[in-house]
Amino acid sequence: MKETKTLPELRRGTVPRSNLPNNQPTSDAAVVITHEDIDRAHDRERVSATRARHGIRPRLRLFWLLIGPGILVMLGENDGPSMLSYAATGARFGVGFFVPFIVLTFAMACVVQEMTVRLGAATHRGHAELIFDRFGPFWGWFSMVDLMVGNFLTLVTEFIAIRAGLGFFGVRPAVAVLGALVVLSVALMTHRYWTWERIILGAAMFNLVFVPVALLTHPHWGSVGRALVTWRPLPGGLTQETVLILLADIGATVTPWMLFFQQSAIADKGLTTRDIRFGRVDTVLGAALATIAALATLLATAPLFAHHMSVANFEAAEFAQALQPFIGHWGAALFALGMFEAGMVAAITISTSSAYAFGEVARRPHSLNLPFRQGKSFYLVLLLEAVAAAGLVLIPGIPLVYIVLLVNVIAVLAMPPALLFLYMLVNDREIMRELVSPRWANVLALGVVTILVGAGLLFGISVIAPNALALVGGR
Amino acid sequence: MEKQYDSPPAAKVSAEVSREELRAVMTALEPDQLISTKEHHHCPRRQLTRTEMILFWALRIYLVFMFGVVLYQIWTGVR
Repeated sequence: MKETKTLPELRRGTVPRSNLPNNQPTSDAAVVITHEDIDRAHDRERVSATRARHGIRPRLRLFWLLIGPGILVMLGENDGPSMLSYAATGARFGVGFFVPFIVLTFAMACVVQEMTVRLGAATHRGHAELIFDRFGPFWGWFSMVDLMVGNFLTLVTEFIAIRAGLGFFGVRPAVAVLGALVVLSVALMTHRYWTWERIILGAAMFNLVFVPVALLTHPHWGSVGRALVTWRPLPGGLTQETVLILLADIGATVTPWMLFFQQSAIADKGLTTRDIRFGRVDTVLGAALATIAALATLLATAPLFAHHMSVANFEAAEFAQALQPFIGHWGAALFALGMFEAGMVAAITISTSSAYAFGEVARRPHSLNLPFRQGKSFYLVLLLEAVAAAGLVLIPGIPLVYIVLLVNVIAVLAMPPALLFLYMLVNDREIMRELVSPRWANVLALGVVTILVGAGLLFGISVIAPNALALVGGR
Repeated sequence: MEKQYDSPPAAKVSAEVSREELRAVMTALEPDQLISTKEHHHCPRRQLTRTEMILFWALRIYLVFMFGVVLYQIWTGVR
């Protein structure tokens, strides 16, 4: 039986209201149910049915149904350049200042991403769409261009990681890159957000492969504990290189694409204000897993520091080879595999965030629930961006490690403007109503912005006037 | 003026929607989760205050300046 109904008719009775102001009953426009609506409704039905039951098992099932975007975004951000930054940190500075610093950066990521959870659940709209609608096309396109440029550069580095990771096993660069593109395309063929999310979640768990690698190096846990408490040592003090690594590590955890991805994914998954608590748990759990993987990578390469090995121009595969004497062939193979996984998962999530943002701003259909025919522009943006980035990686003679570190630095620099939009949106009572940020959340968010701007300025000083670092305790 | 979806996928699909599916969708989703609602209703634009405009522009200039610094570092690095 075919039918369409008017909005007021359909809103009678049981349909819950969200707190978005534009959710006013409007004219008598006919409601048209799309394929995307039906898929999302099936997912929501399962959530509602599970929520209605009591006991531990239904709670665990509810948790399973609602987690995803937070873990994906956090483990997705443990990407190729991030893992390479952590590896370079461990190899250059060993166990010391950067151990607690990495924990701090993930705490910052939690503060920022929690805001996107509330925003996505309250408005059911993506980040780019809200910026475009609330602040106008001028700022909307600006933030969109920032995102696209940053995402494209980051995607290039993901394929660098994929190429380098598989290079350890003797896979030729062209084969590695093409294979990655095939995997990315296959993941999209599900045309179902839920299935796509579960597949990528499973793949993202391989990020923890760095944990056994770290254990193989037999870390000195006393030093790790001492570093966590004292934030020391920092070998070499505050130098230009320290500042670069500092920014690269911040950029490894807090970047603009994460804001866009998590909010859009929450809207695509169909989370509502009732799910915010689970969204927060999802985000914190993701951050905890990502912190473990990041610290494991640092610990895994710390023996290179202890043995005074120069790592100035290491690629991912070279890190694996250099570690071989300490962790054996299998340990090195796991490290290389971890690099491949980091690049692969991030290539998928980052290109998806670009496609979401493009669809939201260009008012084109944008959902992983769409069949290809109905979401052509969404899937094409996603695939074309990935193909272009993959092609660049095959150009010989590019200084890969340098590019990787700088991409993270660029991410940090682009973050304050993106955070300002986010900050204003979560404090916008007209769209958030009772879900506006409480004072403590605003204080934390402003603290993150201050740290990011401060780190950016420190980087600027270290590049333009390296001697001036002495004024802030460096040399 | 608000833009609309250029190629709404909805029309074709709605022709295949059964009464059960329609009921299920309307029960399971909040009204503004429906694609047709999103297509027709956008968040109203808000007026930026003077302070907000200054902040936006200050951060934009900061970004442009810092990108210049990054390019300078790449240039010196290459040299």
